[in-house]
Formats: sequence, C-alpha cells, structure tokens
Amino acid sequence: MSVMTWSPTKGGERYREVPEERKRALFEEVKSDPRYPDFLYGCYECGICVSACPSARFYDFSPRVIAQALAREDVDRFYEILMEDIWNCAQCFSCVRCPRGNNPGGLVTLMREVAVRHGLEQAQQALQGYSRVIYKIMLKGNQVSPDMLQPDFFPDWGPWVREFSRNMAVWRKAIPVDTLRNITDAAWRTDDKTLRELYTIWFETGNMEVIREVDEGLYELLVEIMEEELEAAS
Amino acid sequence: MQENGLPVLVIGGGPGGLEAARTVAALGVPVLLVERRHRLGGTPDAERYAKLTHHFRDAEEAIGELVAAVTTQPLVEILTRSEVIGCDGEPGAFRVTLRTPDGTQERTVGAIIVATGFQHFDPGRETQLYNYYSFPDVVTLSDMEAMLKAHQVVRPSNGQPPERIAFIQCVGSRDRQIGNEFCSKVCCGIASKQAIEIKQQLPNARVFIFYIDMRMYGYWENELYWPAQEQYKVNYVKGIVSEILPKGDRLLVRGEDTTMGRPMEITVDLVVLSVGMEPSSGTRQIAKILGLAQNKYGYIEAGGPSGLDPVVTSRPGIFVVGAAARPADLDDTFATAGLAAARAVATLRRAMVGAV
Repeated sequence: MSVMTWSPTKGGERYREVPEERKRALFEEVKSDPRYPDFLYGCYECGICVSACPSARFYDFSPRVIAQALAREDVDRFYEILMEDIWNCAQCFSCVRCPRGNNPGGLVTLMREVAVRHGLEQAQQALQGYSRVIYKIMLKGNQVSPDMLQPDFFPDWGPWVREFSRNMAVWRKAIPVDTLRNITDAAWRTDDKTLRELYTIWFETGNMEVIREVDEGLYELLVEIMEEELEAAS
Repeated sequence: MQENGLPVLVIGGGPGGLEAARTVAALGVPVLLVERRHRLGGTPDAERYAKLTHHFRDAEEAIGELVAAVTTQPLVEILTRSEVIGCDGEPGAFRVTLRTPDGTQERTVGAIIVATGFQHFDPGRETQLYNYYSFPDVVTLSDMEAMLKAHQVVRPSNGQPPERIAFIQCVGSRDRQIGNEFCSKVCCGIASKQAIEIKQQLPNARVFIFYIDMRMYGYWENELYWPAQEQYKVNYVKGIVSEILPKGDRLLVRGEDTTMGRPMEITVDLVVLSVGMEPSSGTRQIAKILGLAQNKYGYIEAGGPSGLDPVVTSRPGIFVVGAAARPADLDDTFATAGLAAARAVATLRRAMVGAV
C-alpha cells in the first residue's frame, strides 16, 4: 500500500512574499513571548523530536528544523514555517522528550498565536474547518459532536473523510457507542447564567478580537447572539 | 627537603588511585591505600573490561601491571574491604577513621588523595525509554565489554550471534531532562572501539552507531574513528533514537537520519546503549565524609579559584583524581593522579617546613 500525503497549505497556492522587515517583526513577536525562553534553549540536531513526531512521518514537517531556524534567527526560513509548516503540527507534544529541554510543539503554538493575531491568510485557511467547532464552543461552552467535522475543510484527512462523513450516521448506529448524543442539536445544554458569564469572559479576555481577525463573518454571527443574550439579562 | 614521615592516604584502588599511590611511593613517601572492594583494579576490573582504547591493550593485563606495581612496592600499605568513615585535622596531620575487616582504626596521614571514580549511568534511572530492563537484547556498553572479554558476543535472548547491531550514543549524558548536562567524554571512543572488536569477532555483522556528535579527541580520530569507518565499515548515522520497539523476535529502532533529513527505521538484533558516567556512590559518600564541595551533578568540585587546577578541592590538603571530579578518560585519570601525588607530597613538605 502506498501512503499518500495531503497538506492543506503545500498542495495549493503558496503564500505572498513580504518585505524583510515584516518577517523580522513577526519573528520578534514570537521571540518576545514570555514562554519563548522555556521553549527554546538550543539545538544540537539529535533528531529525537523528529523520530517521535507523527506529523514528520507523513508530511514534509520537521520539529528539528523549526527549533534550528528559530535558534539561528533565520527570518526567511521562519516566515516559510509560519506560512506553511505550523499547520501540519498535531500539537501532540511528543517532541518534548528533547534532551535539551526544548519544546518545538510549543514554538508552533506561539507561531500559531501570532499568525491568528495578525489574521494571516494561512491561519484563516487552516482554521476554516473549525468555524463550526468555534461557533459551538463559544456559544454553548461545550464540545463538538461528530457531525460538525466537514470534509471540505479537511483535505489532509484524505479521500476517505468524505465517505466517513456521508456514512457516519449509519456507521455509528452499526457500531455501539456509549452515547447517541452525536449530533449538534442533541449536544449538552448549558444554563443561561453560565452562558452569560462565558460570553463576558470571551469579550473581556480579547478572544472575540482574535476571532474577528481570522473570520469576520463568524465574529459578526457570534457577537449578535452574545450581545442579545447579555442585554436580555441586564 | 624532608617530609614529616606521615603517609599519604589514597582512597580508591582503581586506575587513578593505583597511579597516585605508585607516584607518591616513587617520590619516597609512604602510602596508605584504602579500597572498598575485596581487590584492587577498580571499575575496569569490576566490570570486566575487554580492551583499553590505548593500543587496544588487554584491560586485565594493563590494569594487572598497575596493581603489581603497587602491591610490590614496600612503601604502600594496602587495606582492602575497608572504608574511610571519618576525618578531622588539617593539612600535614589529618586524623582519619577507617572501617576495616579487623575493626575500626584511627590513623594520622599528611595528605589525602580521593580517587573514588564514577559509575555507569543506569538506563532505568529516569526513564524506560529504551526498555533496557524489558528487552533482553538491549544492553549497555559495560554489558558489551563483558561479552567481548568472554568472546561471546550474542543476543542474550537466544544465545545466537547478532547479525545487525546498533549503538545509541549519549544515553544519560548531555540531557537537561535527566539532569546530566555534561558530555561523558569516553562513550564515543568506547563505542567505536567496541564496534571494531565486534567486527573482529563477528566479521559478517553490520554495526550502526547513532550519534549526536562523534567526539573523537586527538588520536581517537585516526586510531578509532577512521579505522572503524574505513577498515571495518561501521555505519555512523547522525541522529538519536527515540524508541525501540519489538518486531518479531528482533528490535525496531526508530530515529531520524538528520544529515539526510528523513525519519529512519532499522531492524536489528542487538542494541548497545552508550551509557555515560555519573559520580560513583563512593564519590558521593566520601565527599560528605571529608566535607568536600560537590557540583550540581554530585562530582567533587575541582579547579580552584583559577579554574586551572584539576586536582585541588575545597579543602586544603585533600586532592581529587580523575572521574571523582568529572567525566574522565584514562589519560585524564593518569595525568591528574600524577599531579595529585605531587601536590600531596608538597603538602607534607610544607607541613614539615612549618614545623621547624
């Protein structure tokens, strides 16, 4: 059996070139995060992170290269990674068995945060598939249900995802599962007071601004519902 | 110039202690040599080393010569199965308490040389990453030494000679998570030496060495590294293994080939963990008994204010040799043994001058 790989970013259009100063500024933003010194000490290229990394087995992805590029402050390579590689990380943190104490997965986290904060096109693209997930979590405060995962936005799951999605309801009936609460309208109900507190937290902590950066349409939708709920209560 | 007639106490009967005792005696000063084991020879003897990196000399023979040089020296008094359990006094006249098979003794000595050495890193100490205690065919460098010495390089699981062997370097060394941030210095040379010996005993075997950096100091480059690659066709792969998994009755070794930039998996019959050094239990204990400063890894602190004196300790009149102070090869051990011997004799002479 041959293994085919998909990349949500590398297969399609590549990113736009930007001036050196822009790359440098984005790099400095990652580097200035207070977690950065604990995530990157130095790298002697032992590759233990790569050999433990599930993404490295299927994608052109290397946590070692990420650690090296950042340690060398190679802003061109940094920008390539920011645009492409970081979305291929599963954030499983198998790489933290680094003998130097580095956390390449954590570096990816920091880079993703910067990408989202700036509403970079790649971040928007990579997060598209999650819009219903975000919608559900932010409005209801609870987890996703299987029918929310849409095949159109997960090309990296391979061609089977479409079939899975189409047949999910039947298959889940065939395979005994602990709960039948597997569709959106049957998900947990959260009481109104908790919801209002949750909405207040999203606004106060700046989360709504982050959502606006990556998905303005989703932001408008959420704000409308949340504000209505908050106003009704006051 | 004269000494005060008191002996120099040498603690530890391995290569460092033997060489220090031999040199002190050669300078005409009596020595009291205390060894915890029942016999002299230290770790090379206790762990049944096969060959030394120096000219591939038979370890038993080379260490045996050193032991003979000390046991035949009338100025050296040897107490085996004995330990130092107390010490006070000052340079020129330390009063030490010894526990011997014949009971506790008090002795007065002029200076003290500590040569209590190292122990091999235990791969089960922090992590079972490589399954040393679960997979019989995962062994350490010292296990391999014993097999080479017996001319029985086999898979412990079935007693058959291995066809493919992988060494994994830096096990327990250069690792912030384990807490041993230092390089153990000898493992690159020892692994390469063992790879050559394996190929001499099993010419058809394929040997891989997974490494981060090959540290082939000085003549190890041309005496070990090049012959291993050129003459014995040992495969050096830059990349460390993350895990070893069972595959049938063999072992799957998973790593990254970093120079080729790709993940790599190979199936082997035997894995050798190149375990590093840690201060021996004797080193940790004697540091407490003698009141010597230790570094964060438990080694006895040496170097002095200048940083350039490899045998000086935090307590005047007490000197440290070889691997009791840092990961050390035999060259380091012999060089510091001679220096400690000279410093110890000088301490006695200063004490004598002071007494006049």
